[in-house]
Amino acid sequence: MKSKRKFIMVCIAPALISFLIFFLYPVLRTFLISFYKVKGIADGMSLWEYTGFGNYIYLKDSPLFIQSFINMFKIWFIGGIITIFFAMLFAVILTSGVRFKVFWRSLIYLPNTISAVALATMWTQYVYNNQDFGLFKSVFRALGIHVLADIQWTSPQYIFISMLIAFCFGSVGYYMLILLAGMEGIPKELYEASKLDGASLFVQFTKITLPLIRNVFRICIVLWTIAVINFFVWAQMFSPWPDPNTITPVYYMYSVVFGVGTEAIPTNVNVGMGAGVGVILTIVVVVLYGVVNLVIRERKLEY
Amino acid sequence: MSMTNLKSILKKDSRLAPGYILLLIWLLFSIVVIGWIFAASFSTTREIFTNTLFKSGIHIENYWNALVHHNFARYFINSLIYTCTSSIGIILISSPAAYVIGRMEFPGRKLLINTFLVTMSIPMVMIVIPLYAVMIRLKLIGSMFTLIILYIAAHVPFTVYFLTGFFSTLPKELEDSALVDGCSLYRAFWRIMLPLAQPGIITIGIFNFMAIWNEYFMALIFANKAELRTLAVGLRSSIQSMRYVGDWAGLFAAVVIVFLPTFILYILLSQKIISGITGGAIKG
Repeated sequence: MKSKRKFIMVCIAPALISFLIFFLYPVLRTFLISFYKVKGIADGMSLWEYTGFGNYIYLKDSPLFIQSFINMFKIWFIGGIITIFFAMLFAVILTSGVRFKVFWRSLIYLPNTISAVALATMWTQYVYNNQDFGLFKSVFRALGIHVLADIQWTSPQYIFISMLIAFCFGSVGYYMLILLAGMEGIPKELYEASKLDGASLFVQFTKITLPLIRNVFRICIVLWTIAVINFFVWAQMFSPWPDPNTITPVYYMYSVVFGVGTEAIPTNVNVGMGAGVGVILTIVVVVLYGVVNLVIRERKLEY
Repeated sequence: MSMTNLKSILKKDSRLAPGYILLLIWLLFSIVVIGWIFAASFSTTREIFTNTLFKSGIHIENYWNALVHHNFARYFINSLIYTCTSSIGIILISSPAAYVIGRMEFPGRKLLINTFLVTMSIPMVMIVIPLYAVMIRLKLIGSMFTLIILYIAAHVPFTVYFLTGFFSTLPKELEDSALVDGCSLYRAFWRIMLPLAQPGIITIGIFNFMAIWNEYFMALIFANKAELRTLAVGLRSSIQSMRYVGDWAGLFAAVVIVFLPTFILYILLSQKIISGITGGAIKG
């Protein structure tokens, strides 16, 4: 018995220690730093200057930080609706009996397997490019749709929506896979029985599919929330320097802590403020989870 | 196939027409974008700007340029080292933990599973600042080791969680008979259970491999020096300079170098990868 206990400890220890060092310790320390003014990232605690809620008050009054939050919320809400809508649409199409289902499924997931940096480069340097070879430019021009051909996709006016489209395109496949797995778990008899009762495809979708994939839907929203909270690479690829149109909280934090000086971001680094951004994001995650749990209650029995 | 049969198939397919149209648009878009990037990477910058790709034949020197002059060969090797080393490290740390959590009862077991679950939704910004400070103090910034440890630590929680489900489904008799035969617990795990869990380990291994190959945020913070960069960070740092010198063909060659490895891996193993993703997410 004793040897078994030792075996359990030996097996658990590496994973547990890595959790303590690389998650628990940093999270607690970030929380602590957020109440201090810290000039150098490697400064010991003796160099920290206590400011209470000073960092949070500064962030509250910083227009760029507020903008980064608004952008993140827009990505979460608008992008979430677009992504989950198309993911659901493709999942419905794939379960409706189309041929080569496995091929289509792999194809729609494909963008998720490509590095976001490479994907974003394809969008900004080819699809959205304003030169004659740009995909949208040449296609819309050939089709004679000049309103669309004349759009400068990466100009300040359109850059947010361009970024959102590219990001959603790359995300749809992931959520489609999850929804698809949920839909495939629904017993076929339910559809057959409702068909005999004369239910249309639309009625089947709203009365059978949607209620039964409720939990899977909830998982999608949780995963989407995590993805958007960490939103960074797309913002940086679309705007190499922090830009109010595309900046997100993580990009803001990166700029404040790792020093990308612009007019709106103070050049004197304050690590505590970056930590404050992290704490605020964590609170947002907790609140959003709470809201999602209230709106879409988990049900143990699916069918 | 009889005529009526064919008719009924056509009729069924016409009901699905809107779906097919949407799928075909997606297919066309993907082919055009990827195809054009490939074509551009083998043409000259002049041909790209005049819409005359391939006019002067195939220019492999774009790849040579990217690999040698823009340092992509180095980035490629770096990415390979980071990804392979940490993928193996993750499995070595996660599988014993997952085995014990999945098959044995002990106090704190439930707490441990929940802790690993919660860890997955902690924003990365919450952990990078203190870790960067620690790495500076340990003089580990500037070493490839840093990013490898971070990748291992970051992927252990999900991997443990994923493999726990896998181990718990294995038959109990095998283990019991091994123990009766006088096998130690360590040996039973290493010789019997680990090989049995191989399908699960391979699935999560591929999954981690792709995630780490494509990882950007930590690589940018912890390995942003020419000799340490990953492909993703290298591409992003080269874009501006390549555009500045007008080497667009080289830029697209670099894009191909970055996405080709995971692209090929995906084409070869898409079923395995997809089953891993749905398995992991649905259980959560």
